[in-house]
This record gives sequence, C-alpha cells and structure tokens, in this order.
Amino acid sequence: MYDTTTTTGKDISVTDVKISARDVQVYYADNHAIKDVTVDIEDKTVTAFIGPSGCGKSTFLRCLNRMNDTIDICRVEGKIEIDGEDIYDKRIDPVQLRAKVGMVFQKPNPFPKSIYDNVAYGPRIHGMAKNKADLDEIVEKALRRGAIWDEVKDRLDAPGTGLSGGQQQRLCIARAVATEPEVLLMDEPCSALDPIATELVENLIADLQQNYSVVIVTHSMQQASRVSQRTAYFHLGEIVEYGDTAQIFTNPQDQRTENYITGRIG
Amino acid sequence: MTDTSMQQTGKAPVSTSSLLAEDARTRKRNAAEKRFQMYGIAAIGAGLFFLVVLLVTIIGSGVGAFQQSFITVPVYLDEAKLDKKGERNLDDIKKVSTFGYTPLIQQAVFDKIAALNIETPLTKRKNMKALLSASAAAQVRDTVIDDPSLIGQTVEFRMLASSRVDGYLKGRVQREDVARDKNIDAEHLDLVDAFQQAGIIKKQFNVDFILGADASESRPEQAGMGVSMLGSLFMMVVVLVLALPIGVAASIYLEEFAPKNRWTDLIEVNISNLAAVPSIVFGILGLAVFIQFAHLPQSAPLVGGLVLTLMTLPTIIISTRASLKAVPPSIRDAALGVGASKMQSVFHHVLPLAMPGILTGTIIGLAQALGETAPLLLIGMVGYIATNVPDGIASGFLDPNSAMPAQIYEWAKRADPAYYERAWGGIIILLVFLLTMNIIAILLRRRFERRW
Repeated sequence: MYDTTTTTGKDISVTDVKISARDVQVYYADNHAIKDVTVDIEDKTVTAFIGPSGCGKSTFLRCLNRMNDTIDICRVEGKIEIDGEDIYDKRIDPVQLRAKVGMVFQKPNPFPKSIYDNVAYGPRIHGMAKNKADLDEIVEKALRRGAIWDEVKDRLDAPGTGLSGGQQQRLCIARAVATEPEVLLMDEPCSALDPIATELVENLIADLQQNYSVVIVTHSMQQASRVSQRTAYFHLGEIVEYGDTAQIFTNPQDQRTENYITGRIG
Repeated sequence: MTDTSMQQTGKAPVSTSSLLAEDARTRKRNAAEKRFQMYGIAAIGAGLFFLVVLLVTIIGSGVGAFQQSFITVPVYLDEAKLDKKGERNLDDIKKVSTFGYTPLIQQAVFDKIAALNIETPLTKRKNMKALLSASAAAQVRDTVIDDPSLIGQTVEFRMLASSRVDGYLKGRVQREDVARDKNIDAEHLDLVDAFQQAGIIKKQFNVDFILGADASESRPEQAGMGVSMLGSLFMMVVVLVLALPIGVAASIYLEEFAPKNRWTDLIEVNISNLAAVPSIVFGILGLAVFIQFAHLPQSAPLVGGLVLTLMTLPTIIISTRASLKAVPPSIRDAALGVGASKMQSVFHHVLPLAMPGILTGTIIGLAQALGETAPLLLIGMVGYIATNVPDGIASGFLDPNSAMPAQIYEWAKRADPAYYERAWGGIIILLVFLLTMNIIAILLRRRFERRW
C-alpha cells in the first residue's frame, strides 16, 4: 500500500464500518487481478470506485457478494467481512449473502417476465410475503423506491423487457431493493443510459443512501463526485487512494490519481 | 502518379481517373464478387432442381399406392356351403375356412359376366381366380362371422382385385408382358376392360394402405403401413420418455453445474463424437446389450426405442447445450444477484428461455430416429406382422413389430413390382410424418419465443 496520509482504510473510524476488506487478492488463473486491497466501506454512505478500464474495480465489487464464485478460474484470498462476518467462510451460503448484498449490473437485465414478476421474484424465493396482498405491497414499495412506480403502475403485467433502457435499469434497482438488502452494489449502472435517465438513477442513489450502504463502480468522474461521499481510486488492481470524495477530486495525494482525474491517463 | 500529373497541369486538383469508369482493380473485384454470387445461385439452383426431381419421383411413383382396384359384386352366401346344419352356430360357421368361400365369390363374378352379356373365352368359374385378391375370401368370411344372419342372402361386397388387375389399371402391367405371366392372361384383361366399362371394377382410395397390416409376398394389393406405423409410434414413445429427460438433465448439468476440467472436456468431446457414430454401430450395440445380454425380446419396439434413444441422445444433448449457451449470462447474473440459488436460476430463468431450442432439438432428434433403418435391421425390427395389431399398450412395447422405414425396406426387397409402388407410397407416408414433426417444431418455437 502507498502510505499517503489520508488514504488508507485504517484511518476511518471503525464505528459504522459495514464492509471491511483486508489484503484481498484475486486471481484469474495466473493473472493477479486484485492486489492487497484493504478498504473499509461505511454504512449509509455512497462509496464510488473509479479507475481506468481493467483496473479491477468491478472484480473487487463482485467479490463483495461472491458473484465471482460463478467464474471457475477465479480465486479470492484475504478477508472480507460484512458486519464482522467473514463472507468467504465455508459456512456462509452465497445465496443468503446475495440476499443481503444486492447487485445492479452494468447492462439493464430484467427477466423476460412481467414487471410485477421481475420485482416479486426475489421476495418470492426468499419467502418474504405471506400472501398476495403482502407481495403486492412489497412490489409497490420497491417500485416506488426505484422511482419507477408512476410510470409502470398501470401496466405491471407488461413485459419488463419492453421498457426503455433507463426504465429497465430502474426496474433492476427496484428488483434489487425488493429483497431488503443491507448493501447495494452497482456496477456502472448508468453506462448504458442517456443523461436524463442517468440523472434519475443518480437521484435514486441519493435516496437509497438513507437506508443502504451503496457501492458504485463508475467510469464517469463527474458521476462519482456527484453521488458519492467516499471515493476509491483503483489502479492496476490496487487501491491507490481512498478518501472523502471532495478531497480526492480537489486535492489528490497520489500522482496517479491526479493524472487520472485530470484526464491525463485513463 | 496522381501527384505528378497534378503538378504538371498546375491547376486545381483534377483527378486523372473518372469515377464514372471503373478502373481495372475495381472491375476485377466486382467480377470476382459477381462470379461468387453466380456460384452460390448455381449451387442453390442445383439443390432445388434435385429436390424437385426427388419430390416428383416420390409422388409420381408412390401416389398409386393410395389407390387400389376394387371389384364390387353381389355374392350369394349359400347356406348349404357355409352352414350345413342351418343352426347359425358360430362354431360351425367358423369351421368353414376361406376355401369354402372362394367358389362362392368366383361364382359371383362369373355370374356377373353372364348378367352383363360379356363375350369371353373364359368359360369356367375357376378362371375368375386371377381377377380377385386372395384376401377376398377372408374378407367375406370375416363379414359372415361378424353377422351370421347374412347367410342365405345375397350381399354386395367390395373386394380387392388381384395385383395384376390393379397393375393393369394403373398401367404397370402391359398386355405384351402378360404372355409370359402365368397368373393372368390377355382374356382376363379383356374382361377387366369390360368390367371397368360396366363400373364393376373401379380404382378407389385405399384406407387399408395407410391403416392396414403387411401382407404376404403374393398379395401386394393387401399390404399396408398401419401396423409398422404403430411400431414406430411405440418406439418414439420410448425415445421421448427416455431421451428427453436424460438428455436435458445431462446438458443442464454439463452446461451449468459441472466444473470445467479434463473429465468434462473428455465427456464433451465424446458426446460430439457419438453424434457422428454410424447408426448401424448403435444397432449392433443394441443387439449385443439389449437382446443377447439383457435378453429383451427380439423385434420389440421397446428394444428399438432403446437403441434409437442411444442414437438420439447426442443430438438432444448438443442442441440443448447450444440453446442453454444462447441464454444471455446477464439473466443468470440477475437471478443470482437477487439471491436465487444456482438451481433456481436455472429452472426459473434459464430453462424457460432455452425451451424453444430444446424442444426443436428434441423433435429434430425424434424425426431422425423415426427415419432410421439400419439399427432396426440388426435388432430384428422387421417383423412380418400380417394381421395382428398388438392387444394393448403393454404388449405393444414387447410384441414383435416392424417400423415404417424397415417396412419400406422390406417392400423394396420383394420381387413383385406391385411392392415397388407400395415402397414409394410408404415413403410418402413417412415424409408426411417427418414434415408434420418439423412443422410442430417450428410452431412450438414460434409459440414459445413470442413470450418476449
């Protein structure tokens, strides 16, 4: 790690740390994709991961809900704790973990089912609703939180894939929050969206922050500065700098961070 | 070159080559493209030509099998011959074999000559034998046994004409050929002409060709596809019940759950290879394993179905895996992301999306199995089943039977040219089945894909 005064995770007060990662290494076969990442992610905060393409920010994000398990050649070392529990412990069932740590993907990926079923799927498989009325309520609440309720309330039976790209992404967010996760991971959620849809999603992220710890990977530095309170800069698989967003963007400590945010590299 | 010429003229840039004229390079390139398109069109044209030739030949040669010549005459069912005691006791009536009926039928035809005032050198009742199918007596006898009250009456029967008469009416048997034919004479043909004018002999649609059983070598006019169709049906049931679940389960495991290592690679390669193994190899495997080792009955649709299952499995596995692969990974991610287990993500999301592909693959595999002949020959699925339709479903799977392609092969082997026509007719029926299955595959695919 690079010992810059404000950047290492150790400096953050430990009181409301939601996720704490220590010396995380990720290998894709022989390729060492993530090196010695140590970071503490706070509760009810938006944390942005920025960095050039292929720097490992998405890979690290996917470690946080063990989505990397689905990749055969991927190997994770080190320790990642959520609420003090090691998520790579043998006793942890990744399915339970993923109910607690929701995820929104880069490309909107609604199920080819109705809007209602898209949102209801998670609560259904987790047995969150006792009856139809319960489920209706959960779906409505999730769609409201996804800021899409007004647009779709009259056509809940319509296919989710028939919505516009921005609506689909908000539907996916609604689907992710329907299972009441505690952490929401967002992997470049706006990269496929136009500016208006992006603004809607960003407003949504600001709302979500009140209830969740949100971790967002983004290629847009403006977006990172708009939505996040904390920012981590990834470079070649390492966290070069981690700190308050305002400080990272105005007064970066590391030369590489500065180069990146001023547009000299990346 | 362009630069120097421009410098020489010293004016504003003037292109030396006009865009209106093609330069040599472009001309060559365009010619090559045109040539390639011509090759393509020629290839498609050749394919279409042969398809048309094939269809015309099949229909031209086979359509005759669906029509058969029938002789319709009133037959006097003589009580003195059929029920000597006159008690209408079914056991007594059954004692009279078809030989007892033949003279009555021949007499009926013979009487018709007199009734119509036809002049013919055939002055004996027995001469009528050449006109009638040997099945006629059995047909009349069956009718009488079904309803003994008919005895003593004169009943009109529509009976099959002999295959020579049928061939004459269809143009297969020529007058010149008849001189060397011991079964029929030119005088018979004259009589047939006269009967045809009188409307006693007619070519009519023959349901029994589609629904009836096979017949002996000497009675081609009686042979039908019905029983072998049943045999094929039973085999397809076995194939569907075994190959679909096994194939789909294997593909899902290999595609979604199995670790990617040397063993799964080996299995994958072998499945692909199995798809290319000649079907006769599966036949001899079935003979060795199912019949010689497991002692399952020979010629049984159950064994045929097992062999065809082995043959169809690779096809189903390959197409199922292809359609599972075609489901976008984002759907799996989405399901896992909301906390679905691997199995839930497969069964709730991936499988429904892959369904049209799986169904299409399965039906194509079934169609392939339906037309397969070679392995059936090796396990004896060429049973000669002349009359008996299986008693029930259970015995249907274990009784000896034939299959449609095997039946066609059998007919094509037989000496009588009348069977040649039936072989083509059988091919038409088989093709209708295959076409229907393919249409079902297309419809299913459309139907499932329309759900977004």
